[in-house]
Amino acid sequence: MSAVAAPASTVSFAPLLAKRFPGTVVAETRPPADVPTIAVTRAALREVALFLRDDPSTKYDLFVDLAAIDTSRLPAPQAPADGHRFQAHVLLYSTSRNAHLRVRVSVPEADAVLPTLTGVWPAANWFEREAWDLMGIRFEGHPNLQRLLTHNGFVGHPLRKDYEAAQRWLCTEEDLLQTQLAAKTDTPEDVFETMTLNFGPSHNSTHGTLRVVFRLDGERIVAAESECGYLHRCFEKMSENHTWVQVVPYTDRLNYCSPMINGFGYARAVEQLCGVTAPPRAQAVRVVLAEFSRIMDHMVCIGTNLVDLGALTNFWYGFQTREEIYGLLEACCGARLTSSYARIGGLANDVPTDFVARSRALFPQITRNIGEIDRLVTKNRIARDRMYGTGVFKRDDAVAWGFTGPCGRASGIAYDVRKDAPYDGYDQLDFDVPVSSDGDNYARYLVRMEEMRQSLRIIDQVLKSFPAGPISTDDYRVALPPKEMVYNEMEGLIYHFKVVFEGAQVPAGEIYSFVEGANGELGYTLVSDGSGLPYRIKVRPPCFPLFSAFEKIAVGGMVSDAVATLGMLNIIAGELDR
Amino acid sequence: MPARVVNVTAAPMTFMERLYLPAILKGMALTFSHFFRNLVDIRRLPTIQFPEMRRVYSERYRGRHILKTREDGSLKCVACYMCETACPADCIHIEAGEHPVLAYEKYPVKFEIDFLRCVMCGFCVDACPKDAIWMTKDYEMSYFDRESAIYGIEKLRETREDTAAGGPGYGYRPYYGESPMRKAGEFEPSGLALLPVLKKRAEAINRMPPPKAAPPAAKTA
Repeated sequence: MSAVAAPASTVSFAPLLAKRFPGTVVAETRPPADVPTIAVTRAALREVALFLRDDPSTKYDLFVDLAAIDTSRLPAPQAPADGHRFQAHVLLYSTSRNAHLRVRVSVPEADAVLPTLTGVWPAANWFEREAWDLMGIRFEGHPNLQRLLTHNGFVGHPLRKDYEAAQRWLCTEEDLLQTQLAAKTDTPEDVFETMTLNFGPSHNSTHGTLRVVFRLDGERIVAAESECGYLHRCFEKMSENHTWVQVVPYTDRLNYCSPMINGFGYARAVEQLCGVTAPPRAQAVRVVLAEFSRIMDHMVCIGTNLVDLGALTNFWYGFQTREEIYGLLEACCGARLTSSYARIGGLANDVPTDFVARSRALFPQITRNIGEIDRLVTKNRIARDRMYGTGVFKRDDAVAWGFTGPCGRASGIAYDVRKDAPYDGYDQLDFDVPVSSDGDNYARYLVRMEEMRQSLRIIDQVLKSFPAGPISTDDYRVALPPKEMVYNEMEGLIYHFKVVFEGAQVPAGEIYSFVEGANGELGYTLVSDGSGLPYRIKVRPPCFPLFSAFEKIAVGGMVSDAVATLGMLNIIAGELDR
Repeated sequence: MPARVVNVTAAPMTFMERLYLPAILKGMALTFSHFFRNLVDIRRLPTIQFPEMRRVYSERYRGRHILKTREDGSLKCVACYMCETACPADCIHIEAGEHPVLAYEKYPVKFEIDFLRCVMCGFCVDACPKDAIWMTKDYEMSYFDRESAIYGIEKLRETREDTAAGGPGYGYRPYYGESPMRKAGEFEPSGLALLPVLKKRAEAINRMPPPKAAPPAAKTA
């Protein structure tokens, strides 16, 4: 169950850091189920970050997440000893050592400023903007510290605990993005040479509400600025006044192309915090449905992207697969997209009795659809010309910008959570991780195609030895007891009442738990104060760093290449904006 | 590092692959094979001609809620507020009253579900300790104004049409003991029914309610 299983992660850096930068390391903790943590002083953050990135013994080269936490309402034992109001958790990953690390910094309220890490990891850029926007921590030296998820006319920082969720602001139209880009590019000599093109937020090929403003020299993009937040729906703020279980329907709306994975990832994170484990059958179902969701997600990604490139046929083949998989998901959870199937400690219901047969019945269809897309596209000169060598992002760039998942693997980062920090029994399964070194759209396409085949392999193995047994844990502090117990036994009814009214009893603590989402590492930072409601939930959406790098990838290419790139990065506005 | 990594880096194109024409022909061959297969055997057509044809959803489909009744016709609900508490969307509103029948103690004077807020998660069904709220397979709910989306007791109470032939039928509901949902084979292959044959579809059509206010022109087509 341990999140970080690799022996490398057990090495302690505190003495090393203390020797190198005396007085910087405040504390070091390495709880068994969580990511190891070092707490450093604010003044030394940048130096420590550089050291952690570059030193061969640490080599934390990938910036995973930045979670800002307002500790002002935390009860006494959990509240930080130094009395500072904010905490920033910088989560890092080392691609060479396969280890996660959390760097914790305390930030006082009166002077809520941190040194920026954009110079160390470019991926930090948007994460810092988000932290500024939602928590009000300023980042000194940040190149563009604007609001990211909320509107520019927004007042206050919504994730602070003293911010009333029901407040409303009058936000008027203002085209800040365009002016920003103009200020960057409007030099006297090129003002007549280049033109500005607005792309999105409602454009057929953004596949969601994203916005990019291009500065064009003919067809070539000379500068780009992207913006998100159009689909921001306060997921993290709203979670704070719902019980732990009530967050599950919210997670379905994160990556709506593969909603099941989000729910399972969330449930697993809470389970780790509670110290409960889902029974083997629930884990097996999670693996099967997560892999089917992954296939679905890749099918949608490839299908819709090819539509943008002018190949409509694949869309039908891809969506046929998706349609049949939706049928299976609906038979398990009762809804096609808004599944809310995951529960803390297991699943909502047992799967249908013919689950195995029905899952197997999907195989020929999916294999055929994959084969058809393969035959139509992979060797097709036109498709290949559109994708090969466009949107190139090589490994060094991809690591610096925090790429994970299929896009990271297409750039040569052989990191897959299912292999490198196995969960739900993935370590028992035999599958390959497709990796390419090209880093272009064609590589992203090939990686996704291969991942679908590997997913089928995984499902096949799980179905071969599909475990029997309960579907949910019998720890009734967190899970609802079965209905026969509720109806017939007093004890069951009491548990039932307590779980419904008080919510799952999640002990105080914090955790960073991550699974392999369809787009990459999907992480949840959870902080519990033991009250029955989540204290703070921070999602690490895999396509957030992907989209933040988009303006860099797009520059130098054509507008039509940018469309192909945007599709192949598979930006899902639901999880991007939360 | 992963135990097994498969390299999918693209190989350079061969001469044949460089030619446009064979690729076009190959693509057309695949498209036409689909076309002719569908033409020969229309049953394998993946397209569903909605609304004349519909998917058959499973026994746990989460659609419109119903309030179950006792044998004497009174609501099973005892207004315990558990569904209201469990609801993540705050869409259930209950007001409790004292029931004239002593054994029932409490009953809902008011029980409202705002279907514009409801996210159809089924948490209310899970939370109910009295087996009083179920869901149906009815997913076609549309309203002309917001007020009519708020269903009171009279609209939520289970009616005969809900389970009649052609009605939506029961959807998500608690299951325990030897309830039909646990019996094998009870889960009618829903959307799955891989390329469902026409016969099955005809059954599905038969099960649909007749249009309420039949538009005269549409039916003859």
